[in-house]
Amino acid sequence: MKDTSLIVPEKGVQMELNELKRLIRDTDVADVNSLLKYAGRLSKYFAGKQMGKRIAVLGTCNIQYFTRALQCILFRDGIEATFYEGEYDGIKMDVLGEESGFYSFEPEIVVLIPDYRDIKKFPPLLSSLETVSEYISAYYKDMRNIWQHINEKLPNAQIVMANYVVPIDRSLGNLEVNYGFSRQVILQELNLKISREHPRYVTIVDMEYQAALIGKMNWFDESGYMLNKSPFSLSETGRVAELFAKIIEAYCGKVRKCLVLDLDNTLWGGVVSEEGALGIKIDPNDAVGEAYLSFQTYVKRLNERGIILAVCSKNDMEIAKEPFVKNRNMVLKLENFACFHANWRNKAENIRQIAQEINIGLDSIVLFDDNPAEREIVKMQLQEVLVIEVPQEPAEYVRTLETSNAFCWTALTKEDLSRSETYKADVRRGELQQAADNYDEYLIQLKMKGKVKRTTESDLLRVSQLVNKSNQFNLRTMRYTEAEITALSKEPDVALLSAVLSDKFSNYGIVSCAILKRIEKECFIDTWVMSCRVLKRGMELMMFQKIYDIAIEWGCECIKGEYIPTEKNGMVHGLLTDLGFDRTAVNDNGCEDYSYHVQNIPTLKFYIEEDVNL
Amino acid sequence: MKEKLQEIFRDVFDDETIEITREMTADDIESWDSLTYFRLIMVIEKEFHIKFTTEKVSNMKTVGEMMDYIASNSGEK
Repeated sequence: MKDTSLIVPEKGVQMELNELKRLIRDTDVADVNSLLKYAGRLSKYFAGKQMGKRIAVLGTCNIQYFTRALQCILFRDGIEATFYEGEYDGIKMDVLGEESGFYSFEPEIVVLIPDYRDIKKFPPLLSSLETVSEYISAYYKDMRNIWQHINEKLPNAQIVMANYVVPIDRSLGNLEVNYGFSRQVILQELNLKISREHPRYVTIVDMEYQAALIGKMNWFDESGYMLNKSPFSLSETGRVAELFAKIIEAYCGKVRKCLVLDLDNTLWGGVVSEEGALGIKIDPNDAVGEAYLSFQTYVKRLNERGIILAVCSKNDMEIAKEPFVKNRNMVLKLENFACFHANWRNKAENIRQIAQEINIGLDSIVLFDDNPAEREIVKMQLQEVLVIEVPQEPAEYVRTLETSNAFCWTALTKEDLSRSETYKADVRRGELQQAADNYDEYLIQLKMKGKVKRTTESDLLRVSQLVNKSNQFNLRTMRYTEAEITALSKEPDVALLSAVLSDKFSNYGIVSCAILKRIEKECFIDTWVMSCRVLKRGMELMMFQKIYDIAIEWGCECIKGEYIPTEKNGMVHGLLTDLGFDRTAVNDNGCEDYSYHVQNIPTLKFYIEEDVNL
Repeated sequence: MKEKLQEIFRDVFDDETIEITREMTADDIESWDSLTYFRLIMVIEKEFHIKFTTEKVSNMKTVGEMMDYIASNSGEK
C-alpha cells in the first residue's frame, strides 16, 4: 500500500489554503470559470504531492475540466485527493491495458464517464425486439467486463460511473419512441439495465437525469465536442463535478441524515400565532396552500426513506403544535418529528441541542428555513450545517431541496425505512423509562432481544453503511467502501461481526458491527461502530462477549484495541477501559493502545436476551 | 470593450498584470493553454452575449482578431 498520510503544510501555506477554501465556498458551482480558476491555484499547492484519497477518472471524452472541478469541490468540503487522469478515449485502454499507470496508481475511487458516442453499432431499423435485446446485452457485457476487470485487480476500489445521456438527435423523429429498435429507446433500456443489474462495487450517477434537468439544448455543446471533445457543455462542469463529489464524500462518511424545518412560511403559509391553526395556508383548494402541501408531501417521503425530521421555530410551543393536531389538511404529523423545538431562543443554539438530542453531528444536519436572517445566523455560527437557500416562492421549495442534493447516501437499507418508526417509539420508551424505578428496571421492561453473529453476505450493505455513517460510537473511524468490506469479508484472518437488536417497541435491525483482524496471537479490533439510536442498552457488552469468543476461537492470547480521537467520538474514549482493557500506550498524536488478556473471562451483565430464532 | 476584455483576460488567466494588445497571442501569456483558451471563450461568449463559430475558435490567433469578432457580433466597440 502507498503511504497516504497527509502532508502537513507550513503555517503560511495553510493560511493561504484556508483563504482559498473560503473563496471556493462562496463560489456557486455553476460559475465554472471561477471554480476552474481556483482549481488552478489549488493545483500549484498540490503539484506532485501524493495525498488523501486516490481517485482515478477515466472517460471516453475530455475529462480534464471535470477532474479539476472535482478536486476543487472536494477540497472545499474537506477532502484532499490525488488524481489519475485517464488517456483521452481511455476507459478501455486504461482498464484492459496490463501496463497501465492506472493500476500502479492504486485508486480507491474509480470514476467512469462513458458517452453515448462510444456505441458505434446499433441494430438495423425494423430489427425484432429479440435482436435488439441481444445488442443491449452485448453493450452491457462490455461494460460489465470493464467493471469486473477493475474489481479483480483493485478489489478495494469503488467504481462511480455515469450512465448514458440520451442524445438530442433522432433520425426517426418522434417515431423513435414508438419503436424498440430505435437508438433513443435502446440507450434508455441500456441505462435501465445498468440500474437494475450493476454490482455493489459500482455506484451509478444519474447523468441522464442531470442532463434532462438542465435541458439537453444547454447540456450538449456540439461545437465544444468538435473542438475539444467535451462530452457536455463546459459551463455544466461544476454541477456535474458536484454530483460526483457528493457520492465520494458519502463514501468518506460525510452523510447528512436530519432535516431541520422552520414552521411559519416554511411548512405552511402565514404565521400561526396570528392566523390560528385553522387560518394558516395549507388548504388544497388554495394555490398557495397547495404549494405548502406539496412541500409537506415531499418532506414526508424523505422521512419515509429514513431522513430524521426536526422542527426549529420561533414560536410558543403550544401554538406551534396546534396545526399538527387541529388542522386536518396537514400531511406531516407530530409523530413524524424526532424533535420539536419551538421557543424564542437563538436558532443556532436550538440546532446544537437538536443534534445532541438525536445524537448526531452538526455536519449531518440540513436546515430549511424561509427566513434569510435566521439562515445567516446559523451559517455564521454553525458552519457544519448545510443551510439551504430557500426561494421566496413556496411552489419552488420542493425543487430547491431536491436539487441541493443534500441527502446523497451510498445505499438504502431496511434499517433506514424503519428509522422514523423507531423515533416514534422513542416517545413510548421515554414514558416507560419515566415510570420505571431505576435504569436497570427500565432495561428489563424493554424486553430486548438481540444477537451478534458473523456477517453474512446479505448484511454487507448495511455493515458498510454503518461503518461509513457512524461518527460517535466509532473507535478508529476507519472508512471502507462497499467493495473493501466485501473484500474483507472473504479474508481468512478477518472476522466481520454484526449485531441485531429489537425491543418491545421497535425492531432496529443491524445496529452495531466490528471488523476483527487476526495478527498472529492477537485479535485486533480494526473497527467497532454502533448506531447512536441504541446507546446505553448494553449492546456493547453483548458485542464484546462475541469479540472475546472470536479471539478464543482463533487461539489468540490477547485482544488489542485502539482509540483514535476525532472531534466526534469522545463518547467511546472510556469504552475499552470500562470493558476491562488495560491502556498500554498513549501516543503523541492522541491515539491510545489497549490490550485485554483472554485469561480474564468477561463477566458482563446485560439485559438483552439471545434471540434464538436468528 | 477593450477594458472589459482585459478584465476577462485577467480573471481567466488569474493574473492582474495582463495588458492586452491587438498583437498578443498564446505565446505571450504563460498560462494560456487549450484548457484556459476554451474557458476564455466561454466567458467572452457569456459576457458579450455572442457565440463564436467553431471555425473562429479553431483559427483565431491574435487578441486583435478576437476583438474584431466581438465588435462585429456584439455591437460593442
